[in-house]
Formats: sequence, C-alpha cells, structure tokens
Amino acid sequence: MFDGLVAFGHSLASFATPMSLGLILASSLVGVIIGALPGLTATMGVALMTTLTIKMPSAQALLVLICTYVGAIYGGSRSAILLNIPGTPASAAACLDGHALAKQGLAGRAMGIATSGSVLGTLTGMFFLALFTPVLGDLALKFGAYEFFWLALFGVVIAGTLTGGDPLKGWIAGVIGILCASVGQEAVYAHDRFTFGSRDLAGGFNLVPALVGAFGFAELLMAARERALPVKVNPFDSVIPRLADVARYWKTIVRSGLIGTFMGILPGVGEDVAAWSSYAAAKRASKEPEKFGKGSIDGLMAAETGDNACVPGAIIPVLTLGIPGSAPAAVLMAAMLIHGVRPGPMIMTEAPTFVYDVVAMMMYATLGILLYGLTLTNVLIKVLMVPKPVIVPIIFVLCVVGSFAIASRLFDVWVMLGFGVVGYTLRRLDYPVAPLVLGMVLGDLMEKGLRRGLVLSDGSLGPFFTRPISAVLWITIVVVVLLKFDVVRGLFRRRPRPAA
Amino acid sequence: MSGGPYPVAPRSDLNTALVWVALGAAIVVASWRMERMTAQGADLYTAPGLWPGVVGLALALLGGLLAWRSLVRAREAGWDAAAPRGETLVPTPRFALAAGLFLVYALLGVGRGLPFWLSTALFVAAFVFLFRRANRKVGDATGSDRGDAVLAVVCGVATAAVVTLVFEQLFFVRLP
Repeated sequence: MFDGLVAFGHSLASFATPMSLGLILASSLVGVIIGALPGLTATMGVALMTTLTIKMPSAQALLVLICTYVGAIYGGSRSAILLNIPGTPASAAACLDGHALAKQGLAGRAMGIATSGSVLGTLTGMFFLALFTPVLGDLALKFGAYEFFWLALFGVVIAGTLTGGDPLKGWIAGVIGILCASVGQEAVYAHDRFTFGSRDLAGGFNLVPALVGAFGFAELLMAARERALPVKVNPFDSVIPRLADVARYWKTIVRSGLIGTFMGILPGVGEDVAAWSSYAAAKRASKEPEKFGKGSIDGLMAAETGDNACVPGAIIPVLTLGIPGSAPAAVLMAAMLIHGVRPGPMIMTEAPTFVYDVVAMMMYATLGILLYGLTLTNVLIKVLMVPKPVIVPIIFVLCVVGSFAIASRLFDVWVMLGFGVVGYTLRRLDYPVAPLVLGMVLGDLMEKGLRRGLVLSDGSLGPFFTRPISAVLWITIVVVVLLKFDVVRGLFRRRPRPAA
Repeated sequence: MSGGPYPVAPRSDLNTALVWVALGAAIVVASWRMERMTAQGADLYTAPGLWPGVVGLALALLGGLLAWRSLVRAREAGWDAAAPRGETLVPTPRFALAAGLFLVYALLGVGRGLPFWLSTALFVAAFVFLFRRANRKVGDATGSDRGDAVLAVVCGVATAAVVTLVFEQLFFVRLP
C-alpha cells in the first residue's frame, strides 16, 4: 500500500517538469477541442496523436495520449450542452439534461456540473486503477492460453453486444476485425495468409492507420454526407462548479463512478455505455425520475461522472490483461506497444512503477480538464463556430500525414483510406465500428491462445471448457449471446397468470 | 432480436448478409487450400489455415443468421421498411465531390512528386472554397465568392505551413 503511494509520488514528481507540464496543457486542450467538435471522437483523437508522438520518449508520448483521451471524453459535454449535439458518442446521455438546462438559461451551471462530474469520475476511476491493477495483475498470472482465448473472445462478444443497437451486426463487425488481424504472416510458420503476393500485406495491417481510417476518415465521410446546419449557441451563466451540487448529489457521483469504472473494466464496452448505464441507474434511484430528460442535474451528473470514470477503468484491463476496455483504450494499447511497453499480466513484474506512472498521468489529465473547464468556454464556442468545410480538410490532411508517419510508407495511407471506406459503409448500414477495432486488436491474442492451447493439450479441446476460469468465461459468453435471442429470453419471461 | 422500427431496410440487410456469407465461404475455402506445413511438422491444429477457417465459418454463419432475420423482417414489415434516421443528407453529387477530393489528394497528391506543402495547400483551398460556396447556395452560410476564395487560400497556406513545420521540425516526422 505504502509502496504504491511512494511510487505514485515519484511518478507525479517525474512529470512535474516544464516540458511535461507544457505537454499536459497542450494535449488536454487538443483533447477538449477534439471532444467538443461534433464528429471527432476520442478514438480518432488518440489515434491521430499516436502518429504525432511517434518519435517522442515513451513516457511523454503516453502522457500526451492519456491527456488527449481524458480531455476528449470531457470535451464532448460542451457541445452536448451548448448545441444539443454530442461531441463524442459518450456525451449523448449528457445532451438530454445538459441541453435542457441550457434552454432554461442554465448552460453555465450545466457546464459546471459536467466539469465536477468529469473530474470526480476520473478521480474515482483513477483510485480503482491504482487499487485494482496490481491485484488483477496477480490474478492474470494464473491465466494460460485457454483463458486468454476466451477472454479475448469475451471482449469482442461484449463489444458487439453493447456498443451498438444491434448485437448481430456488432458480432459480425467483430468477426471482420478478427479476419483483418489474420492477414499477413502468421506467427508459428511465418506463412503468408491472404497477402496475394504483396510484400506490404505480409506484415499485416498496421493497427494505427487502420484505426485512423475506421474512426478518422470514416467520420469525415459521415460529416461530408450530412448537411451542416448553422450553429446556434445558447447564452450561459457562470461555469464555476458549485460545491452544493457536488454535496447534494454525492450518492450519484459515487454510484456513477463505480458503474463507469466497472463498465470500463469490461473489455470493449466503452464510455458511451458507461454514461447511459450510470444515467439509467441514477434515474432508477432518483426521487424525481420525471425530471430526467427535462433538465435534471442528477441525470447530467450521472452521465458525466460515468463516462469519465470509464476512462481509467478501461485502462485497467489494458495494463493487467493486454485487453482494451474501450476503443480509445485499444489505440492507447497499440501506442504502448509502439513505444516498447508490453501491457499484460507481466507488467507488475517487468515494469511495476509503470502502473503508477499511468495513474499520475491520469491525475495530471484531470487537472487539465479542470483548468479548461473553468477557463475555456468562450474559446471553445469560437472553435465550435468554425464552419465544417474548414475543419474537415484539415483533419483529413492529419489523417494522411499521421498514417504515413508511422512507418514512412504510402501503403499505410492506402490502408487508412480502405478502412475509412469500410468504416463509413458499415456505419451507414448500422454496424458499430468499436467491435471491429476490438477484433483487430484481439484477433492475434485469440489465435495464439487457440493454437498454443491445442498444442499444449495435444489437440484436445477439453481444457478450453473444463479449466475453472475458462469455464466461467465460455459460459458467460454463451449466456450473453443466447440472451440476445427472443426465443431464449421468452423462456425466462414471467407468463401472466390465467384469470381464475 | 426482433421488434421494429428497424434502422436499416431488410433489403439492405439481406444484401450485406449475402456478402458476408460469400466472403466467409471464400475464406473457408482459401483456408482449407492453404499450405498445411506438414513438412515442418505441423498438425491439423497448428496449420496456418485453421484460425482463419474457423473465423470465416463464423462470418458465414452470422451472415446466414442476418439473412434469415432480414427475411423475417421483410415478411413482417416489407422489404424497404426502415425507420427515418433523423439526419439531413447533402445531395449525392456533393458528397461524391468531397469523397473524390479526399481520394485525389491521398492517392495522387502525396508521395507522387508534387511537394507535400503544395498539394496540401491546393487540396485544403479547393475543399474550403467549393464547400463554402455550396453551403451558401443552399442558405447554410453567408458571404461572397471573393470572401470564400480569400478564406480558402488562407486556410490552404496556413494548413500546409503549420503541418509541415509541426511534423518536420517539432515532431521530426518524415512527410510523404
């Protein structure tokens, strides 16, 4: 316990340099702006910043990415409150009550609630990140090939189930992601798969350009497809958070912080589900549920606390299991690998202080959003007024340059374009993109788990089903999948008693 | 997995479902034909085609499930029944122009001999001018051709300069 606190203190001190503080300020600002701009998501922001920070020392690069991530999830609430357009999918729940408050002339108070909720949510998640990571890291050491196979599959299935409105399409997107991960030389015999003789494809799809395409370029195509209506900003009062709001809704903050963190830990679920789950729980617990959707402070506090608590929560499985808890965390994990950090069960053995470095980065990111929450409103409104035809081409230039910057090859630009077109088409057809990303990230782990497990068991599938942790995981997967079918749900539904 | 209104028309779902079934089947066949590496001592369960074969099969099965569901939905509500998406789309030619500009810049504008700063400035300026003008014509923006041209040139030059300087000088990244 005290060792952890000392390590955390060291990590905090190590980032208290002018260079690091400058990066924190700059990247939190970039994150808040990306989050606030409708159509630009946290995943896209983290992916673009990964390409920018490729040549930086690893600690500083990850600091930039975490500040961008936290900033973007927070920034989404600004446009949700002021424009009734969620800046990121995570802030869709904040639209309901945030904009209703704005229409009542309380936009400043709503932004203050969003700031206090986001800060306290991040701090709650951060506390659990520090507390759970070493414990889960120890537990993860008990995981073998069989367990990792099921855990990775669990991540894709859960992401497919929860991140879109249609689980079947979510699972299909996940499977397509897994297939994309199997392109290139396989790990055991270095045999080329689906490369069609291309040397570039032999290395497989580089994850970052693929993500820049699936989230960045696809979002730009969506933005180009939809008509941009003139922006109308509501007038606002003071944005300073009120202690009275925090004191009055402390139960909501604690509950939403716990729900958000838990949703973050679940592989692939992400901030939007965390926000909606916290919102629904707050509505159920509220004495005034009828006010939800009409300007409920309770509702806004719940949504904002939940989505920001999810950010540190989503990093817990990254560090302990090498499995991302959300789409932006998947990009963050890819960035860690690029920078030579190997997240997973061995992290507490190989780099025990790294976990506390991440907690310290999270702490600085929280200070960043608090600072910008108090000061940035007018600047942000000016950014929101920049017309779409100006923003879209600039972001596209960054997508192209960022994809090229990873390995200095044009092939990655084509990968970005290809995944952009696929991501756009899938979205238009109502397929969620997050499971595709999870599939791409976890496909390799799944294949290695399956092949390694089969080698260890001499071709027997038995251990995949009989080992205790494996059994829990596969039964959970089966239950999650089956419960999405009406026929199965009907079996558990209470039938009305026939009238006497 | 039922209950309307459905966000996508059953016909679209059926079409994509057939694509998934065909793609999944093609992957299963390709995986089956893949080199088994038996000369290197591989068994069936370590053969390179095992995993993509399993995943291809899963895709074909899920595609089949989607096809079946779209047939059920079509019987319930009709082939083209879809809930309104609550969005206003721009005319297709305008979207095609945007997509065309993206592709021309990424495929022909960078890494093909033209200096990066020049192609970037031209792309951004063209995009800003054409779409500001298009927005003005439908009443979504105000201003004049001349004003938009000035804005377009300023955006193009500024983007090219800032991106070149930031990536090359600050982050030491090679540009295409």
